[in-house]
Amino acid sequence: MAKSDDCVHILQGLLVFGNVVIGMCGIALTAECIYVVSNPHGAYPVLKATENSDIHAAAWIGIFVGLALFALSILGIIGVIKASRTLLLVYIILMIITFAFEMASSITAATHQDALTPNVLLKQMLERYQKSEPNNNSDNEVTKTWDELMHQNHCCGVKGPSDWQEYTSAFRSTHSDADYPWPRACCVLDAKGLPVNLDGCKLGVSGYYNSNGCYDAISGPVNAHAWGVAWFGFAILCWTFCVLLGTMFYWSGIEY
Amino acid sequence: RPALTQEHLEGVTTASTFVLDQPRCVFKDFGNAVIWLVVALDKDASTFNNSAGPGTPETAFQSFPKSVSAYMTLNATLDSYPCPKPAGDITVLRVGSETSCADDNSRPTCNGPLPGPGPYRVKFLALEGSVPVAETAWSMPITLRTAKSPNSISTAGSGHSGGMIAITAILSILLAILLAALVAMLVFGGSDSCGSSTFSKPESVTVRRYNTHHVYDQPAAR
Repeated sequence: MAKSDDCVHILQGLLVFGNVVIGMCGIALTAECIYVVSNPHGAYPVLKATENSDIHAAAWIGIFVGLALFALSILGIIGVIKASRTLLLVYIILMIITFAFEMASSITAATHQDALTPNVLLKQMLERYQKSEPNNNSDNEVTKTWDELMHQNHCCGVKGPSDWQEYTSAFRSTHSDADYPWPRACCVLDAKGLPVNLDGCKLGVSGYYNSNGCYDAISGPVNAHAWGVAWFGFAILCWTFCVLLGTMFYWSGIEY
Repeated sequence: RPALTQEHLEGVTTASTFVLDQPRCVFKDFGNAVIWLVVALDKDASTFNNSAGPGTPETAFQSFPKSVSAYMTLNATLDSYPCPKPAGDITVLRVGSETSCADDNSRPTCNGPLPGPGPYRVKFLALEGSVPVAETAWSMPITLRTAKSPNSISTAGSGHSGGMIAITAILSILLAILLAALVAMLVFGGSDSCGSSTFSKPESVTVRRYNTHHVYDQPAAR
């Protein structure tokens, strides 16, 4: 009996430890997903317009999953210490449901990274930036976001200012090529928001216009977020898997 | 001969403008002359007559290229093109930069945006009064950029990365194992585990009665 008691205590200890880790990871996941959702890098309207806001859906699911993991881990600890069959059965079933949701969030975040290609952003920018009859508010948002992006990151277009020359666009239909080879936002602007040297900008003299594309500035932070949500979620799920198997083993050994 | 500028400019050619090097140190002995730029379609370059006057309907920008085969614009005196060119200065001429007079028939020497992708040829012509005194050769044909429609951009997905496939596969397997274990656990119920017998709940206390042999062995020890 003593040997079996030790075995029980070790298993209980392991399960309690496992649940403590799950609880803390749940809080960390919630914190990370709140960070992603609160959008510190300002590219969200552009992403939403490309119907590519999966990363936000994944992050929202992550917030709730994190809180659920924390609550369930407390339930699990209580259930293991009291060796209550009902509590542990409820715990196991709810944990499997949470597992499924977190799996969805993790896969969505990983898929999103693949879907955000430069061409998708390029097409959206050409079709909606400075659209003269904005269909809905999101077109205005797209224009404002692109202007801010180009201003803050000192970039122009998706791959470069030549985007505006290689393709026709909504912008081109209202702004002549001779006056606006690329939007004014691509020029180096002074404190008042006026181009430092308008002729230099129109000619494309380096120093008076932004020659880089904005794709890196957009996709960098977004991909970092997606990577975080996807792989941290994956790690938590692997750990949860082990704890759940242990809990099922423990449950099947409790007397009725 | 005139040529597109060699400077590294993003806008050397756009859809309706192009940038030439200024004709520095080209017209040396003609201090009184006015230097004009003649722009013609490639196919019409050879038919241009030097005695055509600038600012006339025959060389008006607004009629180019429909009724006029070449137009003259960007007039300047030799003082605008001092020789030698200071090192480090960007000395260029942007052909097509004046949009305000593009439709103004009273400005036939307008440097308006070019109406199509070309190809165009240009040359510089020096006039004293209305007499041509010097000219450069025609440039090589200059073709401008043509813009494609954004519908030609393919937004097909680039396929799935290895990381995403790994996550999906592994998590699916884990979930399947969990569900199988859950079913097994419920179906086979409380089997033995963790040692040879099931363990009891910690609150239940069992009381045992036990006899010691010593009490029965010495019944008459009073």
